[in-house]
Amino acid sequence: MGLFDMLARWLGVKKKEANVLVVGLDNSGKTTILNQLKPDDTKAHDIVPTVGFNVEKFATKSLSFTAFDMSGQGRYRNLWEHYYRECHGVIFVVDSSDKLRMVVAKDELDQLLQHPDVKNRRIPILFFANKMDMREAVSSVKCSSLMELELIRDKPWHICASNAMTGEGLHEGVEWLTDQIKDLVDKKK
Amino acid sequence: MTSKWLDAYHDPVASLYTFTQCLTLADIQADGDWKLIIADLGTGSYDMKLKVYKNTNLMSEHAIIDLPTGVVNFYMDTLEPRTPAIAVASGPYIYIYKNLRPYFKFTLPPLSINQIEQELWEQAKHDNINVFVLRDALEGLRSDGQLLTVRSLKFLQLESTDLEAFANLHKHAPLKRQTVITCLDTLKKSLADEDAISCLVVGTENKSIYILDPEAFTVLTTVDLPSIPVFISVNGLYDVEYRLVVSCRNGCIYTLKRGSKEGSKYCIELNSQPVGMERINKTIYVGCMDETLQCYSSKGKKLWTIKLPTSITTMKTLDYSPRQLKTLLVALSNNEIHMYKDKYLVDVIKTEGVVTGLQFGRFGREDGTLVMTTRGGGLFVKILKRSAKFEEKDALAGPPISQNQKINIPKKTKLFVDQTLRERQNAVAMHRTFQRDLYLLRLNTARQYVKALDNSMNPISSDPTEPLKLSAQIQGIGPTFKLTVNLQNTSLSQPTSNLIITFNYDDKLYSFRNKFIEAPMLVPGLNYAFETFIDCLNEKGVSDNVKVYVLKSGRSVPIITGVISMPVSEAVAVA
Repeated sequence: MGLFDMLARWLGVKKKEANVLVVGLDNSGKTTILNQLKPDDTKAHDIVPTVGFNVEKFATKSLSFTAFDMSGQGRYRNLWEHYYRECHGVIFVVDSSDKLRMVVAKDELDQLLQHPDVKNRRIPILFFANKMDMREAVSSVKCSSLMELELIRDKPWHICASNAMTGEGLHEGVEWLTDQIKDLVDKKK
Repeated sequence: MTSKWLDAYHDPVASLYTFTQCLTLADIQADGDWKLIIADLGTGSYDMKLKVYKNTNLMSEHAIIDLPTGVVNFYMDTLEPRTPAIAVASGPYIYIYKNLRPYFKFTLPPLSINQIEQELWEQAKHDNINVFVLRDALEGLRSDGQLLTVRSLKFLQLESTDLEAFANLHKHAPLKRQTVITCLDTLKKSLADEDAISCLVVGTENKSIYILDPEAFTVLTTVDLPSIPVFISVNGLYDVEYRLVVSCRNGCIYTLKRGSKEGSKYCIELNSQPVGMERINKTIYVGCMDETLQCYSSKGKKLWTIKLPTSITTMKTLDYSPRQLKTLLVALSNNEIHMYKDKYLVDVIKTEGVVTGLQFGRFGREDGTLVMTTRGGGLFVKILKRSAKFEEKDALAGPPISQNQKINIPKKTKLFVDQTLRERQNAVAMHRTFQRDLYLLRLNTARQYVKALDNSMNPISSDPTEPLKLSAQIQGIGPTFKLTVNLQNTSLSQPTSNLIITFNYDDKLYSFRNKFIEAPMLVPGLNYAFETFIDCLNEKGVSDNVKVYVLKSGRSVPIITGVISMPVSEAVAVA
C-alpha cells in the first residue's frame, strides 16, 4: 500500500473495501442486479448467462464493493464454495416467480450455510426476491417462508423484493448490507 | 439416508387421469422454459383435455374429442425459433398442435372393407333389403370371423326397434373401416441432433406399425406384426438405420430393423403380459404382470429377472445427461418408485398414492425433474438433488456384488468333456457305487467306535459310574520329554478314588522315570495334573506311540485310554 493510499485512508477519503459473493440459481437475475448497481457508463446492454464467474465493482457512500458474480448453472454451482472464505457478505438471489425451483434454491442455501467456511462466521446474507414484477411472483414474506429463512439464527439476514430490470428494491438491500459489513469491520478494530 | 430428491411441487387434487404415455415435457415456446404437457383422459368417457403446465401453473387447456392414447413432442420443420410440435394420438387420428394451437389432423389410412358387408349396406341404401335381413346377414358374417366396420358392429348391438332409425341415419354415408392407435413414439429422420426433424411411429389395433413423414404426413413405412403392439421403443435414424422394439398384446416382444417387413424373426416370448417396456442402451427392460422385472439383451437373450414386492404400474427411463446417469424407474402399486441401475436397486422413492404416470426430464429450467401423476389424480414433481449420488450397489440386503462378477473360466478340455460324458452316461451306477461305499464307511466307523468303547480306547470315559476326561501332552524336544496327564472328573457330584495311571510303551525306545502313578481322590470339576519324565533311548530319530491307561483297582479293563504320538527326539549330545 502506497503512502498516498495510507494518507487517503487516514483522512477518511478512501472508502473501505468489501468482497461480496453473489449466488443464486441460473436465470434468477444475479448479473442483471449487479449490472443495475454499476455506474451508468459501465452498464452492459444485454445480459447473457454467466459462464464460470465475473468480478464486478460498485460503490455505495461508505463502502466499495467487489462482487463475485457466480454462475448459477448446475454445473458451475460447485465453484461457489471456493469463494466463501474471502467474502464479507453474501447476496443470494431468488427468482420469486419460479415456484418449482424454490426447493432447489433452498437446497443450495442449506449447502452454503452448512459449509465450514460459512457455518461459524457471522456473515450477513442479503436475499433478493427478484422478478417481483412477474405475474406469478410470490411476495418476499412468502418467499422467506418457502426458503425457511426464519431458521437462520446465527447470521444477520434480510430479504427484499426487487426488480432488477428497473432497479426497484436493490438500493434498500445494498444499504442494509453496507451497514452490516461496516458494523462487522468496526467491531473487528 | 437423506433423500436424493427435493419436493418441488405437490398437488394431490390436480384431478388428472393420465398415464406415462400421455405425459411429455417440451420447450414448446422455445424460450428455455420447458412445459409439461399432459393428455388428461377426463372421466374416461368425456371431458378429455390436453393440459399444458408452465412451472406450477396450468397455462392452457384444449379439449380432445376422443380418448388420448399417446402424446409426444417432435420437431416437424427447421423453422426458427425451434418450436416443437405436439402430437396427440386419439382414435384413428393424430392431432398436431403447434404454438399451442391445433395445426393439423392426420387420419390413418382406412382399412379394406369386407366385400359382402359393403354390398349389404349398398343394398340397404337402395332399400332392396330390410333391416332384419341386413342384421342376419351381418350376424352371419361376424360369426364367420370376418372383421366388420364399427357401423356394422354398432348396428348388431341395437334393439330391433332402433334398427330402422340407425340404418336410415347412416346408410347414405360411405362405409369406412378404421383402426385405433395404441402407441406412439418418435424417430429422428436423418440427423441425431436434439432438435432434428422426427418421424412419428404409430402402432395400431390392426397389428400394424406406421412410420409417418413429419413434413408431408404420408406413410413412409408400414410393418405388419403378428399381434397388436402395446409399447414401442425406438432408436436410430430413419434414413440410416433404426430399431423398433415392440411389445405386443400376445406377450411377445418383436425387434424390427430398417427394411424388415415383419417382425417375427427376433422375438422374445414372455411368460407373462408386459406392463411396461423400456430400453437403455442395448438392453430391454420389461416389467411383467407376474411382478417381475426382466432384462433382455437386444438379441433377445434373457439376462436377469428380479422379483418385485408388488405389481408394477408403470415404468420410465431416467436419462440424466449432466451426470451420465441412466437408470430405470419402476412405479409399484405399494406407493413406491424403485430405481434400478442395471439390476441394482439404487433408490426407493415413497409417493403419496399409486403412481400411474411418470416422466423424467427437463421441466421449467431444471434438468433433473421427475413428474409423477397418481391414480388419485395427484400431480407431484420432484427434483434430483445436485449432491445426490447413486451407488451401484444394492440398497437392499442381498448377495454381494462379487457374486455377479464373471470368473475367467478356462476352456473345456477333452478330458473334461469325456469325463462329463462318462458321468452323464453312468450316473445311476456311479451314484450306487458311491452310496455303497458310503454305507461301508459308516459301518466301518461304527465298528471301530464299538471296539473303542469295548476296550475303553477313547480319552473320555463312557462308564456312567466313572465319568472321566483325560488329556495328555508332551513337552520338550528330547531326548528327555515331560509328559503331563490331565485328569478331570466330569460328574456333577460324585468323587472318584482308587485310580491308577500307567503307561504302555516300547521299552527299547523309551524309559519312563515314573511308570506308575497313583491318583488321589478326584473331586468333581477340578483338573488334576500328573507329570513324568520320559527319556528317549534311541538316537536314530525313531518315534512311537505311547498309551496312557487310567485303571481302577480291581478292574482289568482300563476306564480310559489315551494315545500319544511321541515327537522325534533330538540326538543325545555326545558326552
